[in-house]
Amino acid sequence: MPLCAAAALPHTPQLLVRPETEDRDMVLRVHAAYALAKHGLEAARTDVVCILGGDHIEGFFLTSVPALAVYVGSSVSGKFDRYRYTFAVQEPLARAILEHGVEQGFDLAYSQDLALDYAFYVPLHFAMPSPAVPIVPLYVNVYLPPQPTPARCCAWGRALRAILDARPERVALLASGGLSHFPGSDRYDSPDYDWDHQMLDKLVAGRGRETAALTGEELDKAGNVEFRTWITRLGAVGDAQAKVISYEPSWHHGNAVVTWPVA
Amino acid sequence: MSLHYTFPPAAGYPLNRCLYRLKSDDAFRERYLADPEGTLREAGLDALRIAALRALDRDRLLALGAHAYLVFMAGLRLKMATAPQSFERF
Repeated sequence: MPLCAAAALPHTPQLLVRPETEDRDMVLRVHAAYALAKHGLEAARTDVVCILGGDHIEGFFLTSVPALAVYVGSSVSGKFDRYRYTFAVQEPLARAILEHGVEQGFDLAYSQDLALDYAFYVPLHFAMPSPAVPIVPLYVNVYLPPQPTPARCCAWGRALRAILDARPERVALLASGGLSHFPGSDRYDSPDYDWDHQMLDKLVAGRGRETAALTGEELDKAGNVEFRTWITRLGAVGDAQAKVISYEPSWHHGNAVVTWPVA
Repeated sequence: MSLHYTFPPAAGYPLNRCLYRLKSDDAFRERYLADPEGTLREAGLDALRIAALRALDRDRLLALGAHAYLVFMAGLRLKMATAPQSFERF
């Protein structure tokens, strides 16, 4: 069954637990964009949400840092503040991704017991179709160098698309993260919004696979280490023209909700 | 220009482990809030690192090998724990 939907969603936790320093109207506008993405997933009759996320040193601490990984349990849970999340995992699909991915030369790590990170549950909190569907968490290392190269992420996305298209489920492929932000850095209050706008223009023009030529250094300097999840998903959707649902720059973060046609 | 997210040196591991636990381990965070000095000493940190962490002094922590993101989120989680009423939950 061909991929049924593709989107990129932000996950900054201030959208879930809003500090006084976060503009409330901006947060509500991002929530409205999440709702549009959710309706899109429902209209596409999504059976499973595969979500590419960059772990924020939550499931994978320095005890073990995989470049690319697949969660292959029957369910997965995470917690943040007063929130507790448990999602069913589409185990046969997760296994197929892992096994076919490894056969094709991607040395994927896997886990059956991880604390789910907010890169996954914040977008799902707002955009999970109703009624809820099972998920497959797909990990791309973004915060612990050395991270996978953009070229490798794109190649993995391309292979992933072929695996998903051959499956019986209707799969939506989401990329969580971005755009520009610098948590913990001295540039926290000055994201590179120009980079974001130029990139969104490029994606709207259908030039997504050019992102495979970016360097890790460029991503870091632009506050876009998380863009690796987008590049992976761009590998999967090719040069389809992006539709920017919403781009909301806060004082510290470029929140983008973007969809791609996959028919 | 140096990178914002750099390889965490092995010498910084105990410090990063404490930051990770303040971020993600509710019981450790509660113990820390009740007894910061004792909790960090028990976790293997020396006086220099305990002082930097208690002050959440980012520049000093980074110089000691801390990962920038861990410093950020440990600080936010401590604020969420100590001033929960200052956040709006959706």
